[in-house]
Amino acid sequence: MKKKTLGLYLHIPFCLSKCRYCDFCSYPAMAAETKHAYTMALIKELSSRAEAAKDYVVDTVFFGGGTPTCLDTDDLLRLADCIQSRYRLSDGVEWTSEANPATVDKDKLRAMRACGFNRISLGMQSAHDSELSLLGRAHRTSDLYQAREAIHEAGFTNLNLDLMFGIPAQTVDSFDRSLDEALALEPTHVSVYSLQIEEGTPFYREQNTLALPSEDEEREMAALLYRKTEAAGYRRYEISNFAKPGHESRHNLRYWRMQDYLGFGIAAHSCFEGERFYNREELAAYLKEPCELCEQEETLTAREREYETVMLGLRLSDGIDEEDFLRTFGYGFYEKYKRRLMRFCEAGFATFDGKRTALTESGMAVSNAILAEILED
Amino acid sequence: MTDKQKHIRNFSIIAHIDHGKSTLADRILEVTRTVEEHAMENRVLDNMDLERERGITIKARAVRLSYHAHDGEDYIFNLIDTPGHVDFNYEVSRSLKACDGALLVVDATQGVEAQTLANAYLAIDSNLEIIPVVNKIDLPSADIDRSRSEIEDVIGIPAEDCPAVSAKTGLNIADMMEKIVSDIPAPSGDIHAPLRCLIFDSYYDSYLGVVVCIRVMDGSLRAGDRIRLMSNGAEFDVVDVGVLEPFGLKSTEVLAAGEVGYLTASIKNVSETRVGDTVTTAEGGAAEPLPGFREARPMVYAGIYPADGARYGDLRDALEKLQLNDAALSFEPETSIALGFGFRCGFLGLLHMEIIEERLEREFNLDLITTAPSVIYKIKKRGCETVFIENPSNYPSADEIELAEEPVVKASIITPTEFIGGLMDLCQDRRGEYHDMKYLDANRAELHYTLPLNEIIYDFFDALKSRSKGYASLDYEFDGYRPSKLVKLDFLLNGEPVDALSFIVHEEKAYGRARRIAEKLKENIPRQLFEIPIQAAIGSKIIARETVKAMRKDVLAKCYGGDITRKKKLLEKQKEGKKKMRRLGSVEVTPEAFMAVLKLDDE
Repeated sequence: MKKKTLGLYLHIPFCLSKCRYCDFCSYPAMAAETKHAYTMALIKELSSRAEAAKDYVVDTVFFGGGTPTCLDTDDLLRLADCIQSRYRLSDGVEWTSEANPATVDKDKLRAMRACGFNRISLGMQSAHDSELSLLGRAHRTSDLYQAREAIHEAGFTNLNLDLMFGIPAQTVDSFDRSLDEALALEPTHVSVYSLQIEEGTPFYREQNTLALPSEDEEREMAALLYRKTEAAGYRRYEISNFAKPGHESRHNLRYWRMQDYLGFGIAAHSCFEGERFYNREELAAYLKEPCELCEQEETLTAREREYETVMLGLRLSDGIDEEDFLRTFGYGFYEKYKRRLMRFCEAGFATFDGKRTALTESGMAVSNAILAEILED
Repeated sequence: MTDKQKHIRNFSIIAHIDHGKSTLADRILEVTRTVEEHAMENRVLDNMDLERERGITIKARAVRLSYHAHDGEDYIFNLIDTPGHVDFNYEVSRSLKACDGALLVVDATQGVEAQTLANAYLAIDSNLEIIPVVNKIDLPSADIDRSRSEIEDVIGIPAEDCPAVSAKTGLNIADMMEKIVSDIPAPSGDIHAPLRCLIFDSYYDSYLGVVVCIRVMDGSLRAGDRIRLMSNGAEFDVVDVGVLEPFGLKSTEVLAAGEVGYLTASIKNVSETRVGDTVTTAEGGAAEPLPGFREARPMVYAGIYPADGARYGDLRDALEKLQLNDAALSFEPETSIALGFGFRCGFLGLLHMEIIEERLEREFNLDLITTAPSVIYKIKKRGCETVFIENPSNYPSADEIELAEEPVVKASIITPTEFIGGLMDLCQDRRGEYHDMKYLDANRAELHYTLPLNEIIYDFFDALKSRSKGYASLDYEFDGYRPSKLVKLDFLLNGEPVDALSFIVHEEKAYGRARRIAEKLKENIPRQLFEIPIQAAIGSKIIARETVKAMRKDVLAKCYGGDITRKKKLLEKQKEGKKKMRRLGSVEVTPEAFMAVLKLDDE
């Protein structure tokens, strides 16, 4: 019998410094002992959940943050070892770590590669030092090139680069340059996010003085992005994600496809056997007792499951499969929302080829408004 | 005159807004010990929260006080409060008719102002004895002499030895009280003549029915008497008569000529007991009513809709409750394609409309959408009858109309001379017909115009105030119908007419208004997935157009990892915002945007 698959997410809430736009859970410049203690707490939590996951084959592992590579090499190895010994990994497991270009060197990367990591996601963001410094990034362009080389030398062939657009002082030209530089580094995958100004961040407080690109400029940047990535052989398989064939992030696809994943560490979210739960964002408490921060978020009813399937599925360029939907919910997606979808198809926002409903490029650009309309009560 | 009559003083306090009328009333109540000091809430006379907050008095109230004067005698003071806005001018004039004198309050730091003057003239017209009172003399910038000489020069009444008081501190209030006794005449009236009572207010009480506030002019009235209302001939048996104490009603055996009090007679509806009407006895009653009765008729109409369609029933209940106490408010159900079920409501004027809206929102917790106010047009249809149109939706098409007429008013504007030019321009712009101008003194003039009422309800009052720095005052009365070149202006979104936005306008004004509203719609309609054409049309002719461009970007392009709940919350927020939208045809508009379009300002 085919085993059920599972993804593991480990949240490493440490960074060299806090970026000015960041509202994720991360602590800058923590003492080495704290990071080590956190590693040990993670190991405890990983072990405690292993029993519940014994019927699953883990086919994706993702170290995110924060900056996972802020951990000592030894601590990274301890975590890898724990995962290898406590969970059953599939042969072709996709094992990613996020990394800041200023936090990796050849030795660390080699060690990581040797213990199972096979994919690196590098937070490049921009190819301009001036933009990086406005963002409050800890790295500079020179770090990026060194990191790229070290990644290559350590034997990683699967690389993602994160880029941002709509950031302060950015122009269409400067974004064009960043994009060219990124593609020249030959990643297998590119994630491009537009800056969202979140409450509680320095950017939020300064938003009136930030020289942000205009809406029209952002649109030009987006158009450039779609054209250049396509020309370079990448496929836009999700609103913000581009991959060479066969290199789509399987871990992130789990999120969009509502497949099971377990999150470990503070502020990590899980979706497991129809339940959503997460760990509270309390570092000190986690260090003391890692298994007691778990909060139930919700048990998904069929209705909520449908809602999420639509919300997440339409982020993918493959869209929503009529058959799959029918199997899960007892009716087809297009069939149920036909009246609303037909309008979007006519306007060129969506397509339906008889099997799949998906948003087009212009539909993705306004996907929030489209989702709000489709999912209107 | 009976001995009792000799010891009655019926008066009101009149003033420009903020000159301290209510504080003075409080002080009088305190001095007469009618209200215990500790129980004293500021401004006892203003019963409604709204009045307290806005500092204006909406409905007249009266209160009976006893005063022990320096001559050793005890007097009865009936203090009758008056509303203070042009919408309620008629009510003010009736309240003043119930008095024999008035305290004219002037702020010593401001001097005579527009409303002081307008109110003073109303009091003079009612033949009242006026006692000027200079108030706020405790303030450092008070100029008592200047205020006195202004009263003499501008209003033309002697003020040399008028009381100068501080209602706030109580300074010199005693002198003023003596002045009320010595200067205001005791009420005349023949106790043996047939009964005549003036109704100056009435309100509904769920136990007593309608409580009618009256001033007995002639004769006397007791419980058990059968009375007749002279305007409509309705007859009732009096259940109770009495006087109006500060905190309630107090029954008495009889109300006689000169007295102010109330009667109850199991009357179900305030619309039967109209302000200004005369009460007499059913048998052997007076031959002639008191002069000046006029039925308060709505002059301004607007559609009022609940923002949440499910609260239609609540809105109806609320309007019914308000109508119990407000005979001038009328309403009937109406349906709008854009706004759903609501009511077409009739008001005395714009302030009356605002007050009703605010009370509905505040006291009944309703969110409302109100359409642009409209007046009643008189339309003679080709080859058939004449109809009165109060709702633009019912306006006949141009080829059906033989003659269109609109209501006009006789307006009088009193203004400092420096603003005459600006105000004449304003009246000109509002299609006013100039009659004459009188100089009241070197600094003040009175302008007379005939103005279309639909220009007045279109923010005329605000424009008047802003062009005169708040000094000009306006009074107007209905002056019949005049032929006019009227057109109905419609607005189309996505090619579909939005009925709630239609209005009637003079031909010459149509283009300007159409352009302005189209622009406002463009500014206020949020970008949507599809482009939205906005058109303004007279009949089938498009006279203005704008376009709301399609939304270009609305996407969540940020990585929240496995935190799906957060993504969902963002989407939920978006959906919440959508829920509040009003659907106008295929276009969604926030209620705020809708109101912004309907609330037109001058520019």
